[in-house]
Amino acid sequence: MRIHTVQRRRLQNLGRFVLNIPLMLVILIPLLYTFSISVMPPDEIYGNHLIPTSVKFTNYVQAFTNPYYNFPRMILNSFIVATTVMLGQMVTCSLAAFAFSFLEFRGKRLLFLAVLATMMVPGEVTIIANYLTMMRWGWLDSYRALTFPFLTSAMGVFLLRQYYLTFAKELYEAAKLDGCSNLRFLGSIVVPLSRPALGALGAYVFLNTWNQYMWPLLVTNSRTYRTVQIGISMLYDIDAVSLGLMMAGVVIVIVPSLSIFVFMNKQLINGLMSGAVKG
Amino acid sequence: MGKSVEVRGARGGIKRPHFWVEPYLFLLPSLLVFGMFLYYPFFRTIFLSLFLTNKTGQAKIFVAFTEKDNYLVLFQSKSFWASVGVTFRFVFAVAFGGLVIGLTSSLLTEKKYLGSNFTAAVYAMPIAIASAAASMTFKMVLHPTNGLLNNLLGTQINFTGDKRYALASVIGLTIWLTSGINYIFISAGLRNVPAELYDSAAVDGAGYWRRVWSVTIPSISPTLFFQIIINTIGAFQSFSQIKLLTEGGPGDSTNVMVWSIYMDAFRNFRFGAAAARSVILFLIVLVITIIQFRFEKRGVNY
Repeated sequence: MRIHTVQRRRLQNLGRFVLNIPLMLVILIPLLYTFSISVMPPDEIYGNHLIPTSVKFTNYVQAFTNPYYNFPRMILNSFIVATTVMLGQMVTCSLAAFAFSFLEFRGKRLLFLAVLATMMVPGEVTIIANYLTMMRWGWLDSYRALTFPFLTSAMGVFLLRQYYLTFAKELYEAAKLDGCSNLRFLGSIVVPLSRPALGALGAYVFLNTWNQYMWPLLVTNSRTYRTVQIGISMLYDIDAVSLGLMMAGVVIVIVPSLSIFVFMNKQLINGLMSGAVKG
Repeated sequence: MGKSVEVRGARGGIKRPHFWVEPYLFLLPSLLVFGMFLYYPFFRTIFLSLFLTNKTGQAKIFVAFTEKDNYLVLFQSKSFWASVGVTFRFVFAVAFGGLVIGLTSSLLTEKKYLGSNFTAAVYAMPIAIASAAASMTFKMVLHPTNGLLNNLLGTQINFTGDKRYALASVIGLTIWLTSGINYIFISAGLRNVPAELYDSAAVDGAGYWRRVWSVTIPSISPTLFFQIIINTIGAFQSFSQIKLLTEGGPGDSTNVMVWSIYMDAFRNFRFGAAAARSVILFLIVLVITIIQFRFEKRGVNY
């Protein structure tokens, strides 16, 4: 009887894996196919091959070297923008979260509500007015336009505040008695202690900014400031016949995203969960 | 309880007079950004929606409550209602499609087995993929002559350019994109179902499907509800898929609301009308958010 159950369990385990295969393929095939096309010579793409007979990296070389696409510049732009927004949010959200969790002041509740209320407004609703602001200020086609509107987030303030609230208040009291200023307390005690929360925020924000499409599309016109997500769609617009080139671009863009997913999985999912819970 | 009172007392001890500005300095960077790029444009959008604008988006003629009122013109236009209809079909399909995929993948990985970590990573992975990149990928998969799907089916269907398939194509892509977050939340919900519930069901001799229907799904219904809301709000905001695959067409068949905002503002330069559409989008999302809060207050337990 006992052996029978063990065998049945094993069979069940095998069955479970087999049952997962179809759905895993649905998720994986578009990406595997993209990679496959990206390393295929054109005659095989147009011969409707699914798997290349030999792996060629010509498309990648072309994507990187063709001066008309200026792809390396777009990759650089995306890195600059995503890093700036990430670091900016870490600073502004830490400061605000510190005030909301350690300090007492007039209007604290109201201001915190005002911060949380911003989560109710989808970015697409304000995008036109923001675009017009950028136009009026002459900010179109600049890093300022790509970064400034995202230099803080309610999700970031909320995430860090929740974390800070778990700190013992005695710590703060003791530091104050020793004459430690608020800013020093934040910088030398709170920030080092909140690395997990900052990591979650950082991974989430970097990925989201890297993946942005609509805003960069609106506020950039020149190839000098285009980000890489716009770049890959341009590879198609410029030359609709070079499907291989287009897919190479997609693979290049996905590599950083997937790296964050693989190497910062825990932080990313923590950030995502706190982001979605309130937004 | 006693502890929180103590903490509050301790905090009270270091309270400073009201002219103490330091806390506001800590808030200043965030409040500046929120003020300039969220509150200001939000009210600016409402303001613009009451005017006819020129090509640079300046409010020129106040038209609210006249026959040229942006909202009135929208409500009278067939294209607007077509867009609303398409949006709701799109959102409904994505919200429930995402849920079904998320629930299926979560149930399939409920128990550990050799390689289940890999499976879990695969199911979660779409959270990392940009909608623009995924759109380009699907553009290739759905390519009329050289795409994977037509290859497999032995057909030459123009999926994104055919009225019968265009909406289904962007729905499929969007479900693929949201499957990751659905998986993460629903599988987290499954892990929180108390094991005793399953044990007693097993004692009662309930089979697998019976257990799923009468134990699992009721236990995670708050998660499922929450996930439908997340999917719905996310789907209302979809843009890249439409821009890159169908451009709202053919006809109005994939003309979802964000796309129509984009078209009004950046192709037709009718910023007032686009602002009115934005306000309507905001109100719809607001209503959904309020519904969510109501249900959460009604003792939904996570």
